[in-house]
Amino acid sequence: MEFRKKLKDKKRIVVKIGTSSLSFSNGRINFHQIEKLAEVLSTLRKNGMQIVLVTSGAIGVGAARIGMTQRPRELNRKQALAAIGQAELMKMYQKFFEEHGQLVAQVLLTKDVVSISRRTQHARRTMDRLMEMNIIPIINENDTIATYEIEFGDNDTLSAIVATLIEAELLIILSDIDGLYSADPRTESTAEIIHSVFEITPELEQLASGAGSSFSTGGMVTKIAAAKMCLQAGLDCLITNGSEPSVIFDILNGKKVGTHFVAGQHQIINHA
Amino acid sequence: MEKNKKQFRIVVRIEISTLMNQNGKINQRKMDRLAMVLSNLNNSGKQILVVSSGAIVLGSEKLGLPCVPDKKIDMQAVAAVGQAELMRSYQRFFDEYGQIVAQVLVTSDIVDYPSRIENTRNTFDMLLSMNIIPIVNENDPVSTTDIELDDNYPLALKIANIARADFIIIKSENNGLYSVVQGNGKPVVEVENEITLQEKIEALCSNRNPARVDATDIVFPASLEEIITR
Repeated sequence: MEFRKKLKDKKRIVVKIGTSSLSFSNGRINFHQIEKLAEVLSTLRKNGMQIVLVTSGAIGVGAARIGMTQRPRELNRKQALAAIGQAELMKMYQKFFEEHGQLVAQVLLTKDVVSISRRTQHARRTMDRLMEMNIIPIINENDTIATYEIEFGDNDTLSAIVATLIEAELLIILSDIDGLYSADPRTESTAEIIHSVFEITPELEQLASGAGSSFSTGGMVTKIAAAKMCLQAGLDCLITNGSEPSVIFDILNGKKVGTHFVAGQHQIINHA
Repeated sequence: MEKNKKQFRIVVRIEISTLMNQNGKINQRKMDRLAMVLSNLNNSGKQILVVSSGAIVLGSEKLGLPCVPDKKIDMQAVAAVGQAELMRSYQRFFDEYGQIVAQVLVTSDIVDYPSRIENTRNTFDMLLSMNIIPIVNENDPVSTTDIELDDNYPLALKIANIARADFIIIKSENNGLYSVVQGNGKPVVEVENEITLQEKIEALCSNRNPARVDATDIVFPASLEEIITR
């Protein structure tokens, strides 16, 4: 487990939290989760780490704000709810982070942040500057003008884009999935979590397409795709269950939780 | 009959400096009056969009900076902190009147991307149909162009075009008066306070049909200078 031990040395990390980890099963926001997440991330920041948070949840918060009980299907309705909910969501993050004396900032990105190079530069510089100022940037998709997160998997891809953009050393994806299983845990009693992955093979991608969550829009496929982007960029990725945000401490202490995608190791392992 | 009537759509352009005290803090009374009159206009059936600056000013205040930064990179970072603060203020004051607001951030090059114009217009249409007031600002943290500190009239103009607004209301920094700019290019109307603003808007709306037939009809003055000379 020497790869796990190396997680202790990570200095710049991106944490992505999905809707399922931020809300109750009825879709309403769970303040305790935000409170705990704020405490964990503030502590890490004070210990000298650089943290970026990628959050989902704006649509759910927006729906609750206007008293809507069901998540809408129509795209323009989702966009409207995201515009309402994003400001509410930031207000909650501000409140809980400020209780720990931690300042946060809002950065809303569109997918083309990586395809248009001058956008890449500006977004990168802004996030670097914020981290230099000991501020935690909180990132979300700018749903109002783009339709990416809404259509493609709950910000998993966005979190990998951000991690690559800022050259983070580790991306932690928190969701309602414990990790990547050797088989579909809902049907196979022998299914086990795969704790370390060194290379994303077609077989692995096939495995991921079977498992998933009905609550989040992402499922395992978009998470594996995010992990693949990380490995290609040479940074580690860890996928685990975020029902207890202090799991981030466990991860950074080298405990065997979730699935750890280890960058830059597959040739070495294959030759061994 | 009332149902078929097109609703008037109004862009309200706010410079945060018009709502602040000398000491750099938000003037509670001015903010409250603004929230009241806009909520009231919304209640009377007008569709309201606010274009507001203030992220950099409020971010500087939040961070305890002695003054607003002049380097672009610092402005962008400070804006990322301040935008959330700005929305928090609007939410708080509008909430007093039961008015829900939403945040819409756009980059100034939005007009170069037809799909973004379309998405943004759809979002505006949906929000306005739900009686929600969108608060629009420039997405400074990711902006690739120069940041115009506290001149958001160009943005207000773009938003008025995207939303196909009938009027732009501007609160003047110099004398605190409200100017009403009509989408048909008619001269500016200046009013003294919130009460007369409401009356003036009602009068303008009752006299005619909405100018908003399609976007090409809108001939808002392109600059503040042009407004003044008209």
